[in-house]
Amino acid sequence: MAWFMGIDIGSAYSKGVILKGLELVAWHIIISGANYRASAETIRAKLLEKSGLTWSDICGVVATGCGADNVHFAGQKASDVICTARGINSVFPRVRTVIDVACQATKVIQLNEVGIVTNFAVSEKCAAGGGRFIEVIANVLRVNLRDFAALAAKSKSPVTLATSCAVFGESEVITRISEGAPAEDIAAGANKALATRISSLVARLEPAQPCAVCGGGALNTTLVKSIETELNIKLLLPPQPQIISALGAAVMAVAAGNSQSNRRV
Amino acid sequence: MPIRGKSLMYFAGVDIGSTMTKVVMIDEAGDLVSAIKGPTGPEYRRLANEVMQRALEQAGLDIDQVSYIVATGYGRLRVPFADKQITELSCHARGVSSLFPTVRTAIDIGGQDAKCMKIRDGKLVTFVMNDKCAAGTGRFLEVTAATLGIKLEDMGELSLKATKKIQISNLCTIFAQQEIVALLSRGERVEDILAGLHDALASRVAALARRLNIEPDVVLTGGVAKNIGIVQAMKENLGCEVMVPEEPLLTGALGAALLAREAYMKATASGEKLSTKPRRLERATFFG
Repeated sequence: MAWFMGIDIGSAYSKGVILKGLELVAWHIIISGANYRASAETIRAKLLEKSGLTWSDICGVVATGCGADNVHFAGQKASDVICTARGINSVFPRVRTVIDVACQATKVIQLNEVGIVTNFAVSEKCAAGGGRFIEVIANVLRVNLRDFAALAAKSKSPVTLATSCAVFGESEVITRISEGAPAEDIAAGANKALATRISSLVARLEPAQPCAVCGGGALNTTLVKSIETELNIKLLLPPQPQIISALGAAVMAVAAGNSQSNRRV
Repeated sequence: MPIRGKSLMYFAGVDIGSTMTKVVMIDEAGDLVSAIKGPTGPEYRRLANEVMQRALEQAGLDIDQVSYIVATGYGRLRVPFADKQITELSCHARGVSSLFPTVRTAIDIGGQDAKCMKIRDGKLVTFVMNDKCAAGTGRFLEVTAATLGIKLEDMGELSLKATKKIQISNLCTIFAQQEIVALLSRGERVEDILAGLHDALASRVAALARRLNIEPDVVLTGGVAKNIGIVQAMKENLGCEVMVPEEPLLTGALGAALLAREAYMKATASGEKLSTKPRRLERATFFG
């Protein structure tokens, strides 16, 4: 039997999956923290524990994400664009465009009919372009990130946030609060502002459909709805949107096959 | 010091910035009679009247004795006792020129914006500004000082003790904050991180300024100019000498006061009567 591992060390969360062939055996998500190497170790241990496997059962490991260099037991590293494309392709084989809303940045990736990446665009290295923007605003509103989408969904008239900087957005939100704007309208306004920026990134690529969304930002269902409204298209949402890159990394490990060089002890 | 009571007319400039409110008062001859800085206030930003009151006390004047008042800065539209509003760009240009008649390029780094102005014969010719991204403004220092657990006013001196300059790779203030935490946990010294932060801010502002053709003399103003580390880093990044007024926060208010005086004198000379607002020190109203 051959099992393969994909590890995605992101700036906010570390994700890992184990595949047997193309069947998902186990997955795990933790907060990355300050020590990526320790996060990679934890993910590996948790994945083995959940799957009931031992390290010697794993035939290959591919690492991705901004902390990929810290996955010392991986045989290969792969770019996050390729991994996200592979991951989404394994869930939705017909998808031609995927929007990955991660913490640090948003990526829009175009795929051809056979799932090969043909083009991509990444938001500026700026907190306003990715999920971090919502984290900052949620923090000002004292709302748990998990409850953010539900809060925003209650809004009848979202506030307009004029700034496109997360730091200035923070001050703007404080001003709105002092003016008496309800939290749900501010939350919805933040989603709308991010959705607008994401949509203009998507528009740079002339996206083909079907279109999917993944990354931690895809857990914010109100944000996803806002992007759908902005783009006027329906977005496919995978069941576990956060693990798509890790899944893609594992798919690449499977493709590389059973060779000694594919993992390190 | 000017002899108070000799002058018949006094003029005031009120500069309401995002962080600080500044008031400068001058007499008929254009000589300084008072200069006061106070916080704009964190949320309601309505303290212009209090700063004005302190400036009047320092000058030993009553508000009725002030002939003409010009408000500037981003809060200029909401000052109830100001007779005229003039943009901070014109006021800065005027204020800087009065202190440095040879100035050709003025760079002002405020609490939430940065402006670069080309000045010819004391007048504003052209400008570029950033108020879209916190990374090129004083806010960058405020946020990073808080992350480092040091006082904003201590940053400059501390950075001079750096033994190396740590490159900050993130442009975004929020990601830089994250990067600082990582650098600290790696055991890097605060002084060395500061040197890197100052260079990061200076290079952003210098890039903004380079959109215009930078000509000497270059004058740096705004609250950020009080940070000696930034002044050094600006010199390095611009590759030329940079002059800083003794009170870099006050140039906008000074310019406003000088423009108030000029407008009033011009009107008086042509027999025109300028309309003025009631001389009541009321709070600035920012909301409604």
